[in-house]
Amino acid sequence: MGLETENKDIETNLREIARGLLKDKKVDVIIGYMEGTLPMLSQPIIIDSEEDVEKLIWNNLCYVNLAKYLVPRVPKFVDSEKGNLTVGVVSKGCVGRALIHLASENKIKLDEIKIIGIPCNGVVNRQRIEMEIGEKEILEVSVSGNNVIVKGKDFEKEFPFDEYMNDLCKTCKIRKPPLVSKAPDLCVGECEEYSNIVDDFSDIAEFEALTPEEKWNQITEELSVCTRCYACREACPMCYCNLCFVDQNKPVWFGKTTDLPDVFVYHLIRAMHMAGRCVACGACSLVCPVGIDLNKINRKLEKIVKERFNFTSGLDPDVLPPMVDFKMEDAQEFMLEED
Amino acid sequence: MTEPIVETKQTENKEWEPKIIAFLCNWCSYAGADLAGVSRIQYPPNIRIVRVPCSGRINAYFIIKSLTDGWDGVLISGCHPGDCHYISGNLVARRRFAILKELLEFFGIEPGRVNFMWASAAEGERFAVLVRKATEIVKKLGPNTKFEKKW
Amino acid sequence: MAEKLLKKDDIGKFYSELEKEYKFYAPTKVKGNIAFKKISNAEEIELDYLNSKVPPKDVLFPQKETIFEYRYEGKEVIIEERKDLEDKLIIFGVRPCDAYSFKLLEDFFASGDFQDDIFLKKRENATIIGIGCNSPRQSCFCTSVGGHPFQKESTDVFLSDLGDTYLVEAISEKGENLLKKLSWLADAKKADVEKSKELAKLAEESFTTKFDFDLVTKVLDENFEHPVWQEISESCIGCSSCTFLCPTCTCFDVIDENDEYNNRGRRIRIWDTCQSCLYTLETSGHNPRPAKIQRCRNRIMHKFSYYPSNYDCLGCVGCGRCITACPVNNELRLIIDKILEIQEKSGEKVSA
Repeated sequence: MGLETENKDIETNLREIARGLLKDKKVDVIIGYMEGTLPMLSQPIIIDSEEDVEKLIWNNLCYVNLAKYLVPRVPKFVDSEKGNLTVGVVSKGCVGRALIHLASENKIKLDEIKIIGIPCNGVVNRQRIEMEIGEKEILEVSVSGNNVIVKGKDFEKEFPFDEYMNDLCKTCKIRKPPLVSKAPDLCVGECEEYSNIVDDFSDIAEFEALTPEEKWNQITEELSVCTRCYACREACPMCYCNLCFVDQNKPVWFGKTTDLPDVFVYHLIRAMHMAGRCVACGACSLVCPVGIDLNKINRKLEKIVKERFNFTSGLDPDVLPPMVDFKMEDAQEFMLEED
Repeated sequence: MTEPIVETKQTENKEWEPKIIAFLCNWCSYAGADLAGVSRIQYPPNIRIVRVPCSGRINAYFIIKSLTDGWDGVLISGCHPGDCHYISGNLVARRRFAILKELLEFFGIEPGRVNFMWASAAEGERFAVLVRKATEIVKKLGPNTKFEKKW
Repeated sequence: MAEKLLKKDDIGKFYSELEKEYKFYAPTKVKGNIAFKKISNAEEIELDYLNSKVPPKDVLFPQKETIFEYRYEGKEVIIEERKDLEDKLIIFGVRPCDAYSFKLLEDFFASGDFQDDIFLKKRENATIIGIGCNSPRQSCFCTSVGGHPFQKESTDVFLSDLGDTYLVEAISEKGENLLKKLSWLADAKKADVEKSKELAKLAEESFTTKFDFDLVTKVLDENFEHPVWQEISESCIGCSSCTFLCPTCTCFDVIDENDEYNNRGRRIRIWDTCQSCLYTLETSGHNPRPAKIQRCRNRIMHKFSYYPSNYDCLGCVGCGRCITACPVNNELRLIIDKILEIQEKSGEKVSA
């Protein structure tokens, strides 16, 4: 069944479930996606009545990680008398993972949310398509069969979806939100139990085989256009620190300029802070105003924690994330030893 | 434009010697280094020691800031797992070091610039041997110019 | 001065003659996006573009700029001022909206008791060569803010794309002096000038967005505490893409960088954004804009209410970059719609 029919089915199901939840008062508000005003965009929308359910959509342009709106809670999710409202979150796999991981870090209470699971089939790599179209305005985007069709004033181009989806979506193993055994009422819609994730990380094997010089050159070339706007940090649901390490000034650790060493260090340290916490949603790359692609770095983070600690973020709110835990038997092959 | 007054990066007479900053935990490694000194065991003078209470105190920022400040190598040493004065400080640190080492390698920093080791207070000889090893590794890599801020 | 013609094939000649005397900045492809950079050969110029991601204000007011450098010699501190401010620049191929933004930047940096010498000197030595927009984007709305896709006033020389030639018009004295140096340019015929006027008219009619910003300013002035701001700031994630890509945003942070090991340092300024929660944080710990709704509101009020009060013109040039950049599609046109709805709902007519 083609992409188009899949999306339509998901959308119809989603609206049914949303309507039911609002009718039975299982949730107070629902946050999901709605049609954007420009061809390649979608907007988040917060609805609280059954009439508005028709505005919810699902298509392959739903980029934003909705977990961001729960940490900290946006004002619409908090009532002056009732306190925190119960929020239904339209969740593709990575959004569900983000919510569960935030619960394991005690930033969300699982009984104050409902995960409305949908089986995500990937999001379009908007920046790549815009770069291939070049300096011509895109006026319409639609999906037909398994292709994304992009139309402009005097052009029409077809892109096979399998190739032009976000790189992180291509290797995603968690397309539906994970079921949480200790909270059976948490998930409605389509969710799945993940007991054993198998991932060989072959997509980054080629990059890892390069020499340090080549790796340095490729990474610094990708990061060279960074304007230090911090959109990646603001879009990431895991970046909720009140004072980010770059903004610290007692003492100043790292520079805030666009010089290459400063840009490199910012991305390196942010990646380090994401170890064991990144849910590979790709929001950081899709939000970047100058089109930097951080997918290789995010994949490496997943690989490190999977291979060393057999951990995948966002599956179980009771498992301690690897960076707040330790075991006597941890591997230490990298330590300097006498010959 | 002001020019940096470069100290010993390249000189005609002497061979280049790396500058390595060493973070040593107070209870084991620092005492081990002390024992090496008292026992008159010779080890390369390239390291500059910073004493910290425990290897678990080491924040990744220290290591990265050392590299951006121009240090050619970083060495971190703590107590053996199970022997930490604060029980589990070095176990926490070990996980941090693992992530940092893998990420540094992935980003293209030569593995070998940042080294980790365990050395207890009674292991003066071991301390000297491992410092010699680390200095050799860093010397082979050459000066650290990747993070140089050019202005 | 009479209009001239520049064949597209002669851009190389145009560049090589001018680059002897001027630093030549032009739109060029950097990692798949258009950016204004100093180019080293004419093949890099891309004039057939929609608009750059980062606006050309980056040339005169870059993301990171050194204010001065200092070094220690014994007990003395020696300060070295910028020496490259007298260099002459050409910024080639600027869209009329971005060219107008230079005027707004000048207003800002020249106002008050302390003038920003660094920017103003560079601006004085810069020649702006604009180019008209034959096909404005859906997200453009320069005609609503007093601009036009073929507006020439803020440029020194203006180009119109006629197909395989450009019509070249000198607008200011600086522009005339520049064109005098290029005596090999052919004279334009009356038909060429007519075609340019045709293109301007077609471009103007293609705009789909039209707002009455005088009305918007009036409504904003009277509705600082209106609950509509709650709705407007709901989906904003504070990513600050809008402010980083805005041609009229001027906020900057000043940082001292110390190179202790080499006894020298420098004072630099980098772009800052009012959308950051730390922007208004004071040393006492008090923050006048702690919540997102206040920061969202501040950006709109600054462009459409405070700018008219302080400088008698709107602080927006209608380029639409904030609209295409916003990751949550919280776009300006929807915001303006919601603001204008206040006035409709209240029933009372706000007199213009």
